[in-house]
Amino acid sequence: MKRSQILFKLIFVVLVLGFSDWSQAQIKIGFHAPLTGPTAADGKSSEIGAQIAVDWINAAGGVLGQKLQLIVYDDQGKPEQSIPLANKMIGEDKVVVAVSGGYSLPTRAAAPVFQKAGIPYVAAYAVHPDVTKGGKWVFRTVTLGPPQGAVTAEFIAQEFGKKRVSVITMDNDFGQSIADGFKAYAPKFGLTVLKEYTYSLRERQFGSIIAAVKADNPDVIFASGYFFVAGPLVSQIRAAGLTQPIVGSQAFDSVQFIAIAKEAAEGVFVVGALGRDGKHPDLERFKTEFAKRAGHEMETTAAHCYGAIMLVADAIRRAGSTDPAKIRDALAATKDFPLLTGPLRYFGPTGELYQPVEISVVKGGTYHSYKIIDDPAILTPPNQ
Amino acid sequence: MMLLVEIVLKGLVYGSMYALMAVGLTLVYGLLRILHIAHAGLFTLGAFLGVVVTNATGSLTLGFVVAIVVAATVGALIYRWAYQPVLKQPPHVPMIISIGILVMMEDSFRIIFGSYGLSFKHNPYYQSTVGFLGIRFTEAEIATVIVSFVLIGLFSLIATRTRIGLSWRATVTDPAMASVFGISPIGVRYANFIVGSSLGAIAGVLIAILNNYVEPGMGATLSYKGLAIVVLGGLGNVRGTLVASLLLGVVENLGSIYLTDVLDRDAIGFLFLIIVLMIRPQGLVGK
Repeated sequence: MKRSQILFKLIFVVLVLGFSDWSQAQIKIGFHAPLTGPTAADGKSSEIGAQIAVDWINAAGGVLGQKLQLIVYDDQGKPEQSIPLANKMIGEDKVVVAVSGGYSLPTRAAAPVFQKAGIPYVAAYAVHPDVTKGGKWVFRTVTLGPPQGAVTAEFIAQEFGKKRVSVITMDNDFGQSIADGFKAYAPKFGLTVLKEYTYSLRERQFGSIIAAVKADNPDVIFASGYFFVAGPLVSQIRAAGLTQPIVGSQAFDSVQFIAIAKEAAEGVFVVGALGRDGKHPDLERFKTEFAKRAGHEMETTAAHCYGAIMLVADAIRRAGSTDPAKIRDALAATKDFPLLTGPLRYFGPTGELYQPVEISVVKGGTYHSYKIIDDPAILTPPNQ
Repeated sequence: MMLLVEIVLKGLVYGSMYALMAVGLTLVYGLLRILHIAHAGLFTLGAFLGVVVTNATGSLTLGFVVAIVVAATVGALIYRWAYQPVLKQPPHVPMIISIGILVMMEDSFRIIFGSYGLSFKHNPYYQSTVGFLGIRFTEAEIATVIVSFVLIGLFSLIATRTRIGLSWRATVTDPAMASVFGISPIGVRYANFIVGSSLGAIAGVLIAILNNYVEPGMGATLSYKGLAIVVLGGLGNVRGTLVASLLLGVVENLGSIYLTDVLDRDAIGFLFLIIVLMIRPQGLVGK
């Protein structure tokens, strides 16, 4: 092929691309998640979840007669990445709303940038309390750590009575904030906390902690952790001969947890789990589509991000406009929106949601819905 | 009291896991004075291959064999292509190369094996237990302790009692003099990387069984704690590595219970390292 031909073709392609962009106006939604680095697994699932939401909305005709476009960036799980990305989304891409599919650190760092620019920002599953301290432009579609811990105390008291509990906590902001809520509410529900043991996320062998828990002889064990620690921890607890009920935190909710712990996972309760028994009309369809795209079963982060994008699209529709200020007001006015993770009743004044907490149990190698705790005394979002 | 015994014994399990991981580092440091951080990548490679091959064929033995052969080959290639060209450079040059290789390997594992990590389809050894002094140990834990003692013991014997060991030690002490006596220093170096990488791969598969889980970043702990152990054991000393590993496992285990509110396992480990080096700068076993 001659050089002139190549040049001509290139110009043609550029023109076609350019015109197709003009012919169909697009609503740009910013999105960041850790696509590389140690937490890339969750980031990848997040991206797929968000993209499914966008694709389905577009297939159904888009929003306000326009297609949605997801502008995806890799935050590498680092705050020093998310700040320039936020500026890029606002300044260059001109997004009208943004969603964080990342962890607390990068989300916390980006939130003030969106706040200052007046672009609504939704944290899909970042749990650190400071995320929404950014201000009235920041929202969160997951329940905070302390109320999750408090609900866990209520669940243990309801299920097993006024018992003695050993607490095993992962040493990060998520684990600590859940444990704080648990310890604050445990006495109110008549529970006794025997001792709390903390571990770092790098650990996979828990011999010493389990030996100490065995000596404490609790009635119930409450542990927080992601699947890659929860799997080894639970199987080692059972191998050590401890038969007490185990109650796990939100991040236990992963098919990988069952793949690692196998039979030992049976009977483990997960507080803050996904409603997996098909209460949401789209859940089954979403699971199938996710498995097709990802090559493995659905992960919770994907469900969170799918929900956040659906919520944002719904807010644009209700706002009847792509004006960021109107989208923000529509988000703040959300009532009873069905997230995949359960119904979002409303947002409090600080951008935190009210959502009943789902408890699942592992039976026959899969998660099953067990109970829903809807206690306004614990779950009502704070006023400031 | 019973609790104390249990924590110490579980600490020995932890320590023998460290020992198997770190002995490859010790060998390379002893011979070439290179901080072979990429060893952590070979360890992870072994672990992944062990799981993948075992799941595909149903044979754990084959899993071990493939893991050892591939890791040993890659280890020798790393020596040939990455270290040999820069042996005359100051030690930080191969170290930086080594860090680069580790980062590259970790991301390759993420791309090839997926970032969620893998588990054995069938792994009876991490949950079936044996009672000892009223404490339950999983078969995987017992295997880890036995394998690390036997392999490291065997290696010490070979190093001190055989001609091969003699030529190894001669090359460590004075490569020029050794080659005058007909020992090929190049051959010794290859053997060194092959043995060290094989032990790393064995450690990887054992830990895969122990946790029933392998992940791309599982070498991270080894990459820095292994170095601490090598220093603690007296640089390049194999028996020192074993002693340091066991001691570190026990100290960390005790700390993780009695200092659980204050420090995490790694902090306890490094605090111990600092204290030992203040008292014995030459390491625990060094002269």
